[in-house]
Amino acid sequence: MSAHTPIRRLAERPPMGQVLLVLPAAVIITGGVCLWVVAETPAAGQTLVAWCLGAAAVLLCVTVSFAVYGAQRTRHLRDRLAEMDADVARLADDTLPVLVQRLRDGASADTALAGIPKPADRNQQRILWTLAQEVGKGERMRAAAMSACANAAGRVQALATSMLADLRAMEDRHSEEVLGDLLKLDHSTAQAGRLADSIAVLTGARSGRRWTKPIVMESILRGAVGRISAYQRVRVHSASTVAVAGYAAEGVMHALAELMDNATSFSPPSEEVHVYVEDVSAGVVITVEDCGLVMSAAALSRAQKAVSAEPLDLTTLSGTRLGLAVVGCLARKHGLTVSFRPSSRGGTGVVVMIPQQLVTQVARSPRMDAPRAARVPAARPARPVAAAPAETSTDDDLYGLPKRRRGQTLAAASPASPPPSPPPPTAKTERPHSDPGARFSAFRQASRGGGPTTPPADDTR
Amino acid sequence: MTSWRVDSENPDRLYTVTGGRSRADENSLDVVSLIVSECEPTPGMQSEHVRILRMCHRPTAVVEISAELGLPVSVVRILLCDLLDTGRITARHPPSAPAKAQLPDLEILKQVLVGLQKL
Repeated sequence: MSAHTPIRRLAERPPMGQVLLVLPAAVIITGGVCLWVVAETPAAGQTLVAWCLGAAAVLLCVTVSFAVYGAQRTRHLRDRLAEMDADVARLADDTLPVLVQRLRDGASADTALAGIPKPADRNQQRILWTLAQEVGKGERMRAAAMSACANAAGRVQALATSMLADLRAMEDRHSEEVLGDLLKLDHSTAQAGRLADSIAVLTGARSGRRWTKPIVMESILRGAVGRISAYQRVRVHSASTVAVAGYAAEGVMHALAELMDNATSFSPPSEEVHVYVEDVSAGVVITVEDCGLVMSAAALSRAQKAVSAEPLDLTTLSGTRLGLAVVGCLARKHGLTVSFRPSSRGGTGVVVMIPQQLVTQVARSPRMDAPRAARVPAARPARPVAAAPAETSTDDDLYGLPKRRRGQTLAAASPASPPPSPPPPTAKTERPHSDPGARFSAFRQASRGGGPTTPPADDTR
Repeated sequence: MTSWRVDSENPDRLYTVTGGRSRADENSLDVVSLIVSECEPTPGMQSEHVRILRMCHRPTAVVEISAELGLPVSVVRILLCDLLDTGRITARHPPSAPAKAQLPDLEILKQVLVGLQKL
């Protein structure tokens, strides 16, 4: 860009060169012509002719000079205009996109400006500077708002999770009279948690919680159904026994909950929403069908676009409908495929495909107490109980106490081999007395030259 | 308490297990009623129903089912009512407590107590 500067300086200088050439030429030519004409005219009118011709010649010279100067100036200005046009085009096409991209990537206004070629024109510099300041400010505001939202959502998520756990404990503790109210609170808290999860997903924060074990499909569906307000209108038809990997379970539940919420809110309150689960070779297909209004082709394509693989554009968010944007984010994160189609029931059907990578098979033990074993926290290392029956090995470890099961005597329930007991207490109490004596007698034997061993006990004292 | 629960909890909420009900329609089921399953679970059943049917091959009390499933008794009672309505289980009520006349006299019991304390 610095190469432009001398050219510009040259161009800005008034173009007088041609005028300086043309003016003497015109003076010489017109002077010559005048002299020749005056010399040719008879002497009587010579003075008059000379004056007239002189005036005409001067006029001609001046006119020619001005004309040449004007033409030169026009050409010069046209060149400058073209050059400025090119500059502005370069600014718009190259410089500004780079600048905005740098600001979006988190650079400050000054850093971003330092990294791009500086335009020679002072006005363009001012435009760039103002633009960088404003865009940078906008980016900072956006980032601050996003992080504030994400932080608040995270706190609400944590609160909702602990409230749900507390409510579950209360539901266990309290009697039937309170249960109905507790369930209602539970339901409201679960919905609040879903809202917080939605905000967290849209702001790019982490999702609500992580499950440490695969979650079976029935629980996934129930977890999804439990988060929407009209959960009683959802009918689940599932015989699937697969499970969803723990890290993706929350996302899948949340996406399904949003889709079910859409289905229940866009169908008449008297109609049910049906959810079908089908295991296929590529994963699990879940279909959510409602009997509401058929979506128009434009609405279908809009919905499809919202859940497609394109990254989330926050400008497409409307204030009230976040559901599909959330589903889109979750689908991109976990590789779910979501597609919309008109439902055979008259409304809209949503087909969600959970890829095979997220699906695991749960070994279903026919024993009825297998789920009890699953409740033991995995982090607690199982103490080896050697000969104890396998059934008692799980829950007994929790508290270290034997536990009697039905049809079993307490003696059978207690571990057959007790944990390694400390040495008998008698040996321990005798040790301080006998030990110094034994050592002393050994010392005495050695000094005597290996005589017969004497009993070490009493004479040493 | 909370942290342990959060780690080991299932995503099912109780209202989704009961379908929104919080009270059993039938009050005949006591906590000590013995439940016996009458048929094998069929695919597509609710998992709690399946587990109850598997568990109750031998007569099992309602409280024991509740402990095994890890669900409150009132919720288990709702589930059992569903199964009762479809005839998949039968409930046997425990013999009622012996009549008051058959119990030993209160005075004798007191004397036994005093005698025991003197030992």
